[in-house]
Amino acid sequence: MKYLDSLKFSLYAIFHPFKGFWDLKHEKRGSISAALTFLVLLIVTYILRRQYTGFIFNENDPKELNVFIEIISVLLPFFLWTTANWAITTLMEGEGSYRDIVIATAYALVPLILINLPLIPFSRIINMEEGAFYFFFTSVSVLWSGVLILAGLSVTHQYTMGKSVFTSLLSVVGMGLMIFIGLLVFSLLQQMISFVYTIYREIAFRL
Amino acid sequence: MNAKLIHCLVLALIIAGCFACLPPAVQARLPYHSYTYDYWGDVVYSPAAYLPNRIITGEDLGIGDLRTPTDIFIGKDGKIYILDAGNGRIVVTNDRWELVRVIDGFENNGVPDGFNNPSGIFVTEEGHIYVADTDNNRLVELDPAGNFLREIGPPESDIIQESFIYQPTKLVVDRAGRIYVVARHMNQGLIELTPDGLFRSYMGATRVAWNPVDYFWKMIATREQRERMALFVPTEYNNLCIDEEGFIYVTTSALNEWDIQRAIGARSEDDRYAPVRRLNLMGDDILRRRGYFPPVGDILIARKGSVRGPSMLVDVAVDDEFRIYSVLDRRRGRIFTYDSEGNLLYIFGAIGERFGNFRNPVAFDYLGDNILVLDYEAGTVTEFAVTAYGRLIREAVRLHFIGKYNEAAACWEEVLLQNANFEMAYVGIGRALLRQEKYEEALKNFKLGNHRKYYSRAFYYHRREVIGRNFGLIVGVLVAFVLALYVIGRVREKGRKSAYGEYQSEVEEI
Repeated sequence: MKYLDSLKFSLYAIFHPFKGFWDLKHEKRGSISAALTFLVLLIVTYILRRQYTGFIFNENDPKELNVFIEIISVLLPFFLWTTANWAITTLMEGEGSYRDIVIATAYALVPLILINLPLIPFSRIINMEEGAFYFFFTSVSVLWSGVLILAGLSVTHQYTMGKSVFTSLLSVVGMGLMIFIGLLVFSLLQQMISFVYTIYREIAFRL
Repeated sequence: MNAKLIHCLVLALIIAGCFACLPPAVQARLPYHSYTYDYWGDVVYSPAAYLPNRIITGEDLGIGDLRTPTDIFIGKDGKIYILDAGNGRIVVTNDRWELVRVIDGFENNGVPDGFNNPSGIFVTEEGHIYVADTDNNRLVELDPAGNFLREIGPPESDIIQESFIYQPTKLVVDRAGRIYVVARHMNQGLIELTPDGLFRSYMGATRVAWNPVDYFWKMIATREQRERMALFVPTEYNNLCIDEEGFIYVTTSALNEWDIQRAIGARSEDDRYAPVRRLNLMGDDILRRRGYFPPVGDILIARKGSVRGPSMLVDVAVDDEFRIYSVLDRRRGRIFTYDSEGNLLYIFGAIGERFGNFRNPVAFDYLGDNILVLDYEAGTVTEFAVTAYGRLIREAVRLHFIGKYNEAAACWEEVLLQNANFEMAYVGIGRALLRQEKYEEALKNFKLGNHRKYYSRAFYYHRREVIGRNFGLIVGVLVAFVLALYVIGRVREKGRKSAYGEYQSEVEEI
């Protein structure tokens, strides 16, 4: 039943971020399994949103819906963020472990699920003029999650708000660096493979 | 054995005869792709709206080859005027391509005079011929028989720089006799002359597009660097034409490629990055850009290869009867046609060597339903005839413009039989259905046509209808829901109370 409790606790945490994230870490109210569940739910939310948002608000080309890209577009930023944040905060006297960061971030994403999921049927019963509500709620979900991430960070790492904003910015830079290095490795590998292959062909032709 | 052979021969002959009698099954293939773009900006191939009909050379007219012709004009009476610049003459034919007259010179106050590399021609409703005589720095007006009437030299005004060399390239004359001139290396818009040929003002200069990134670099650059940078100047026009209402369509090919790309990406209705504009008398752009993309020619722009970059629009022609206009892309030899709202109707034409291709198209105009395209390099005029498909689209657009929505929808239905991928047809049908208050069917068509705005409008009425029809049901469900909540609440409370009671009685027992 601990799993269900930890799922349910997200509802408390998103309304009482400071106490909630404190208990999440120190009272062990959160769990990795719940965090992963939220991630999966978020992926499902985004896929459903792309596919089933009402025609008026759906600017996605149905020819180009690719579930794998949808999955990657949630998982990649998530793990880039948690890794970069962990790397930065370890150097900056942050008290959270990688596990704590993953849990806090995943719990902070819950408003995205809770608001966007009901917005899907809602978008099918409103017209363009009433779209202001739709866009308002999508912005609210993003802002809410953003604030929760910051609050979660400052509680998890025992930071002041200013410091958690600063480390967040650094984490974003870190994400960019990781992407850059990843691309670099890919392109170097590609070059190396093609180099070896060229030598092989050269030898094969001469023999 | 012999009889068998004869049988075989006879059979072969019959078969050969059958084939000979049949009409040639495979028609000459189209020398270009005909296509449009859909809402997503993808190419959608479509049936041809225009087919090359014939190619007219100077030899056909019996006057020797045309040399570097620069402009073609078709008068209200159907007379065709070709400005044969290399030969310094104007060739006039009627609409059946029978030569009427060749004007290769005139008497200017008793002195024989001629054209020197003229590049623009315009003919008024009375048949007066105006020529932009570029290298003679003047405009020339001739009467319908080709006799000299007057010449209009460089405009004089304080606001024209001394160093400016006046090289008029294109011109139109409106009903009141005002003359609008496009001149080379002039970016203040059009030169407007009074009917007497006096300078009145510049008109319709483009609003300067202001780019913050460029501005930043200018701020930190040294003066020498600044001088070498491109200036923020309005773009130069290269051609113009006037429609029945007196509005002037202008084209430009001097826009920055990235600005055009950005305008396409943002589906912009802004006139600053627009290669075609429609100017009112004040010089303001009033062209409607309500299509899925602004009218800029091709939407998908090749960045690699020998022919790259956005469409280079060099001429525009208006078909007044159908309220549609076309623009000519010199780079790829394509003609794009739009309706008055800015919806792309059809694209055809190509650069090449096959029948119906161009080498270097520079000007075109409408002759009734046909389109005549002038090829500068080949010295020919290619006549394109509208196909049944093109005629249907034109008719649908015309009917819609004059408010006969149902008839237009019938036309669109027929268009769909030939091209089921044509989004505009669905939107046209949807609009007619919306007017007939058939909201559900309208919704279906707007969805197929990818038109979110009209879909939303139809949806509003459809929703009202559904709610009205099911009002009782909706209220009933709501009431039931509230009741259920109430009952559940009561039951829970009772449960809690009875649990408490049991606890109490247990305590009492002890």
